[in-house]
Amino acid sequence: MSFTAGALFSRPTISLPASFPQFFFAQLKYSGGDWDPNPQFVEAITEELELRTSIDGMQERRVITPTDGDLFFCPFLFMAGKYEFDPWTPQEREILRRFLTHGGFLFAEDTVGAKGYGFDLAFRREMKQVLPGHDMKKLPTDHSVYQSFYLIGSIGGRQRVNPYLEGITVDEWTPVIYSQNDLTGAWSKDKSGKWAHECTPGGELQRSAAFKMGLNIIVYSLTSDYKKDVIHHPFIKRRQSL
Amino acid sequence: MNLNQVTVVPVFPLWLILVLFALGLGATFVQYRLIRAKLGSSRALGLSLLRLGAITFLVAFALNPSLLTTKEHKVSPVVGLLIDTSESMAQPEANGKGSRLDETKALLAKGPNPLLTSLREKFDIKLYGLGESLKILSTDELSGLKAEGAKGDIKGALRELSGKTSVAILFSDGNVKWDDTPTPGLPVLVVPLGNPTEYKDILIKAVRAPSLGFRGREVVIDVTVRGYGTSGLMLPVLLKDGTKLVTAKNIRLPIPSPGETTVSLSFTPEEIGQKNLSISIPEQFGESLASNNHVNLSLKVVRDKIRILMVSGTPSMNYRFMRTALKNDPSVDLLSFVILRTPTDILNVPTQEQSLIPFPVETLFAKEIRNFDLLIFDNFNYSLYLSPHHLESIREFVRGGGSFAMIGGPELVNEGRVGFTPIGEILPVRFPDREKYRRGSPSAVRVSRSGNTHPITRLTAETMGEGITPTSFWREMPSLDGVNLFEPKSSATVLLESADGSAWPILIVSPFGKGRVLALGTDYSWKWYTGRVAKGRGNLAYLRWVDRMVRWLTKDPSLDPVQVTFPENSGFAGQEIEVRVQLQEEESSLNLGAPITFSVFNPDGLKIDSKIRPSVLPGEYLASFAPQKTGIYKIRIETSSGQFEESIVVAGVLDTLDAAPDHESLKAIATKVVSTHEGLLNEIEAYARKGETRFSEEKRSPLWATPYAMVAVLGFLVTEWYYRRRWGLI
Repeated sequence: MSFTAGALFSRPTISLPASFPQFFFAQLKYSGGDWDPNPQFVEAITEELELRTSIDGMQERRVITPTDGDLFFCPFLFMAGKYEFDPWTPQEREILRRFLTHGGFLFAEDTVGAKGYGFDLAFRREMKQVLPGHDMKKLPTDHSVYQSFYLIGSIGGRQRVNPYLEGITVDEWTPVIYSQNDLTGAWSKDKSGKWAHECTPGGELQRSAAFKMGLNIIVYSLTSDYKKDVIHHPFIKRRQSL
Repeated sequence: MNLNQVTVVPVFPLWLILVLFALGLGATFVQYRLIRAKLGSSRALGLSLLRLGAITFLVAFALNPSLLTTKEHKVSPVVGLLIDTSESMAQPEANGKGSRLDETKALLAKGPNPLLTSLREKFDIKLYGLGESLKILSTDELSGLKAEGAKGDIKGALRELSGKTSVAILFSDGNVKWDDTPTPGLPVLVVPLGNPTEYKDILIKAVRAPSLGFRGREVVIDVTVRGYGTSGLMLPVLLKDGTKLVTAKNIRLPIPSPGETTVSLSFTPEEIGQKNLSISIPEQFGESLASNNHVNLSLKVVRDKIRILMVSGTPSMNYRFMRTALKNDPSVDLLSFVILRTPTDILNVPTQEQSLIPFPVETLFAKEIRNFDLLIFDNFNYSLYLSPHHLESIREFVRGGGSFAMIGGPELVNEGRVGFTPIGEILPVRFPDREKYRRGSPSAVRVSRSGNTHPITRLTAETMGEGITPTSFWREMPSLDGVNLFEPKSSATVLLESADGSAWPILIVSPFGKGRVLALGTDYSWKWYTGRVAKGRGNLAYLRWVDRMVRWLTKDPSLDPVQVTFPENSGFAGQEIEVRVQLQEEESSLNLGAPITFSVFNPDGLKIDSKIRPSVLPGEYLASFAPQKTGIYKIRIETSSGQFEESIVVAGVLDTLDAAPDHESLKAIATKVVSTHEGLLNEIEAYARKGETRFSEEKRSPLWATPYAMVAVLGFLVTEWYYRRRWGLI
């Protein structure tokens, strides 16, 4: 049961009970702004996921809203945008709060990278409402997301806005990871199979780093802080010192 | 009778008596004057004197004259005979006179000249048995007296006898409680029994052992051995678990004898549960007492943490949520490995950019496997990584008491030949030849009949929700998007099965060897977490379900349907032991109204009397029994859902009895130590006489109450009446 990229432009109709692959992208749709700036990011990153990891990812993207009952069965919730979007309703905020504090995961991207404007402004505003008391912070360099598959030195992305990821950490789990480097823009291909965007200023190295970062985020979403287990420490330290 | 024996105790005041006498005297004088004219002076005087005599007597009665007689009495001294009846007095003596107590009985009541008879002739004899308490004995009870029980409290006994007896005679071998403080002021003569110089015995004097041990951690038991007449002897001290030897150490008893030596025995328990251990020393030739060469003790072995090794074939939601549940439990120590890439995946970066670590299969599955309690394979195609000897190692791990869980997923599709491997041997399921994994056809689950009562799937009311049955609880769980099409083995128990179509088993358990195994035929159980969260019911059910799977697999006692709590210190023979029986909530609800039976079997396997009654707490019962001998007692509790057995070690006084005659203690207790019959009599006489007492008895006899006094009064009056009549006055 797979969806083609073309199917992404209209919301797929899924009859209940829905079937959920172990890994797929679920993209959060919201009103106002532009909820889908990179509609064709799935294929390339899923291919890389298949080629490089043991994860059986489906080349599938499902579009979902916070009130959709399937939200809680989505392993990887993705949200992107360029512009400011409408505030979520109290019900939507409550559902997202429950989702994120009970194992759910959200990767969000400001594909424009304008700090304090547009999507960035709206997203930070909404997160303060969804997870009050938990601030969005720069993820430290030893965070599991930088070590979950590759040992990440550079974030990559279509643009180089931040040399770091941000996130909201609750206990030892970071349910919200936020990027302004447009990773999905770097993963996107057009209909002819060519890269949809150039990566600036780093070119293909920057794109490669974006894929690595993407794979790490996906692996982190499925393994949590596994790499913080004591058995990994000496290996990771040794490799970082090479 | 002489006059100084006569005393007067006036019944009226003396002045009143004198007034009465004066009135009588006056009346007599008036009478004299009246009759003198008729009869003449001499006759009138005679009659007046007779009247005066009668009045004088009558007035004298008011003085209450009494005759006082004194009689002196002598009281026989009370002699208390204290016969030590503690266990050590049952020890036989080398002189062939039977036990020390028998020797005492013979001395007191047998032979041509029994001491008791001799003493009774002169003294008031009181017999006492000195056991755990002081007991008054009759002469008839002496012959049936038995030596049993703990050491007697001699100081308490003497305190009790002080003031009641003149002297106490103690017949003892010296094994009494004595604290070297001054004795109460009562002379104590001691007749020592037993022969310290000829006594030979080896005993376990003391054992210092923990009552609780941790699996995999060394337990040290200190044993103190004492020897009498065993100077320099070398002998082994054995530690056994049932009949199996755990460890042994040789010791050399000190020179000179008697002396003590302490040895430390250590071992590392590998299995949790109640262990019935014993420490013993082989009986040596000529030993007086063999029973004190053996001590039973119980050790409860628990695990400090449940150590789990989890290997996941791929990063997945199943791994993450199960990891969350396991990490959530502070009693779980989780080591997990996730296969992030397979050998066919491309790794297009240099080593310094990889976070992958080697999968140490040899270390984990050949060397360290026994350090884990539970092994979980989660959607793991183990044939790519594990060699046959690793699989055999896993099988032996489970056979020896370990536990194994296999969580399904598409990676197991390649395990079609699993049935021919050691893993296939231990699993509760078979893999059918046809389709092995089905994805995309969501399937609801239902709980089986067995699952309705099994601790894994019958969660508590707090978890499922008040009034929710396991059937409705599991029916409402989100459907599974992928299931492994297992077939259960005949020895397996299916707890959950798919509710759609062919009822494929989803959750299956079974025992294997000493261990337990579980198969979960889906990689979508994480939906049971998120699905309930989506409905606003929280994640407790999933966390508890994982917790119960782990605890059932690892035989954690907390999941036993019946919890039995023994007293902190195991009981002693002869003492009542109270046992607390708690039915788990689910067991309690299943057992509603049904009787619970409690049976106790002694070390010979015979059922003994026991009682059980409900306590005030729900599901709790209080049971009790009184063991009469030492050893391991088996306790059986039967409820409507089955029977449960536990065992308890009952220790005895004899286990650590030091029966060596302790004449040094007797010297400290005694005012004088005597041993011969004659010597004893003389000493008792001397001490008893010092306490001899006498008393005088006074008797007062009223004189006026005698007939003579009445005759005298009547004599005066009749004589007067006679002469009055003769002389014509009447």
